Amino acid sequence: MAASINLHKISRFANLAIPSMAVLFFLGGHFVSFYFHFLTVTFLLLTVVNLFYLYIQKKHTILRNFGILGQARYILESIGPEMRQYLFANDTEERPFNRIERSEIYRKAKGIDSASSFGSQLDFDNSEIKVRHSMYPVDRENIKDFALTFGEERGLENTYTINKPYIISAMSYGALGKNAVQALTRGARMAGIPINTGEGGTPKYHMDEGGELIFQMGTAKFGVRNDDGSLNDEKLRKLCAEPSIKMIEIKLSQGAKPGKGGLLPKEKITQEISDLRGVPLGQDVVSPAHHIECMCKQSTVAFIKRVQDVCMIPVGVKICIGKTSEFRDMVREMKAQNVFPDFLAIDGAEGGTGAAPKAFMDGYGMPLMPALFSANKILTEEGVRGRMKIIAAGKLINSSKQFIALALGADAIYSARGFMLSLGCIQAMLCGNNTCPVGITTHDPSLQKGLIVEEKAKRIANYVKGLEHDFYEMLAASGIKDAKDINMDQLYIPDDTALADQINALLKNANL
Amino acid sequence: MKPTQQIVSWVLQLGIIALLAPAAYYKLTGHNESTALFTTLGMEPGGRYIIGFLEATACALLLTPNSAVHGAILTLGIMIGAIIAHLSKIWFDSMFAYFSIALVIASSIVIYLRRKQIKSIARMLN
Ligand SMILES: Cc1cc2nc3c(=O)[nH]c(=O)nc-3n(C[C@H](O)[C@H](O)[C@H](O)COP(=O)(O)O)c2cc1C
Repeated sequence: MAASINLHKISRFANLAIPSMAVLFFLGGHFVSFYFHFLTVTFLLLTVVNLFYLYIQKKHTILRNFGILGQARYILESIGPEMRQYLFANDTEERPFNRIERSEIYRKAKGIDSASSFGSQLDFDNSEIKVRHSMYPVDRENIKDFALTFGEERGLENTYTINKPYIISAMSYGALGKNAVQALTRGARMAGIPINTGEGGTPKYHMDEGGELIFQMGTAKFGVRNDDGSLNDEKLRKLCAEPSIKMIEIKLSQGAKPGKGGLLPKEKITQEISDLRGVPLGQDVVSPAHHIECMCKQSTVAFIKRVQDVCMIPVGVKICIGKTSEFRDMVREMKAQNVFPDFLAIDGAEGGTGAAPKAFMDGYGMPLMPALFSANKILTEEGVRGRMKIIAAGKLINSSKQFIALALGADAIYSARGFMLSLGCIQAMLCGNNTCPVGITTHDPSLQKGLIVEEKAKRIANYVKGLEHDFYEMLAASGIKDAKDINMDQLYIPDDTALADQINALLKNANL
Repeated sequence: MKPTQQIVSWVLQLGIIALLAPAAYYKLTGHNESTALFTTLGMEPGGRYIIGFLEATACALLLTPNSAVHGAILTLGIMIGAIIAHLSKIWFDSMFAYFSIALVIASSIVIYLRRKQIKSIARMLN
């Protein structure tokens, strides 16, 4: 006989017991000691609340059926995520990042040696891509230092060179709080890597920190817009003249919400943010789904050209790929107009966001690995792979994942959440509520006070140092002397992976 | 809350404090009348201090917007106790009895107006 708890019976008992206790304590208070009336009052109040739950309120079935005991369920449910995270979840089970992945970042950020013992906890049953090593590793001295120059294809005067394959991906001031922006930018400067400003308008705090910046122009063009949402060339030209702005990124779409514009919930709009972006207080800011200039492939490519002409610095495009055929058409249009972005940032559907509709976060867009593979293949087939750099984004937070992306065609790595984790993010998933417990995605001063900018900036720098260390060790182990030579031969792609299916389909169906 | 509700709530809170603060003061300083009352109830002096302390706490809670609803709940509890005392031991021999009824009504209204601020309930009701 299974022992089971019949909650319904218990609650019926409780619903009787609570008023009975009130009567009992009243008698105690009357005949024994007046002190009993403390309990009389308590149980009287409980009785009233219980009657309210059972007979008056109509919204909550559980409360109507079970009364005050049903409340326990709501309390448990509200603390459930924390309970699961701290007590019951497996090391490899949480999403988007499991504990193993997160603790690797935490260790790197704190500068702690990441050697582990006994064995890997990941899968080796044909479902995960691994990197192939060489029988003939090379020495670090023989490996060329990493360098990637944006804008060289167009023979720009103001090219921009990075010496580490990492860039902090777009997160706006608005999505992030002030302390987080300062810590990220300062950390990026210490590490010697650039940071993307996100679509938050004039990047005031980024510029104050003096980092090397990639200015992102979102679909609403905060910071460089006319009132109708079209591009104000003058404002953009002025911004590009700032010495800290090294490149411009035109955001066409983002992995977490492809086909939709950015979203900043009203909880997070402070007076300052409303000024920086030029938007009203007290209502959600929803960016349009596309730039008003970009109605079709011709106008989109023409818009890239227009921005390039205004800026005189490298100009790239960020997209999440949906239909590969559309992407191929756009590449052909680029060839026709002889206009190419200086870089293409490919954001996988698994990408993060401050706030996005659930349907889009969960259901839209191509995941990074197949998207990257297809884009690289299409560009190669069209003969224009050499005209631009590719930056990949989408959960590339640890070294081996990053290496896989480089092998599939990326030239550099974008990460947003890897750097958030380095800042101390505990994956509480509250980015849109302004209640981030670790002060990253909130403007509440009492929550931001725990985020000490100087301290966390060091974590960012440590994280990059740890990644770079792994990067050269992996190159050495793979026997590769120049990062440009990383390619798919370096990968072991088992048949059961989504990527393998994708590759097979792509190889069969040459004309996508 | 709408502005009018805000105003009503604050007027009531201040009204409650105006009645409750002197009561707490007399209890804690051992005023004759209080001591007599609590002797009748058989709670002298412990009960007098406990109730006095609770009344003072309720006043303090009623003063800030975030805690007012909890101050009102506390007031309601104390005043139900007071009414029980009047009904069962001392009867309605003084105006204090009517005070306690007024306070029950006032604190109930404050609780109603500020019901969204009761955290555990608010979480469920939205
Ligand atoms: C809090 C937060 C804010 C973001 N804000 C932007 C943004 O303003 N513009 C944008 O293009 N992408 C934004 N992203 C997406 C990231 O730039 C990135 O493309 C995506 O998260 C994938 O990288 P990851 O998996 O390393 O986080 C944001 C992501 C997060 C987590």
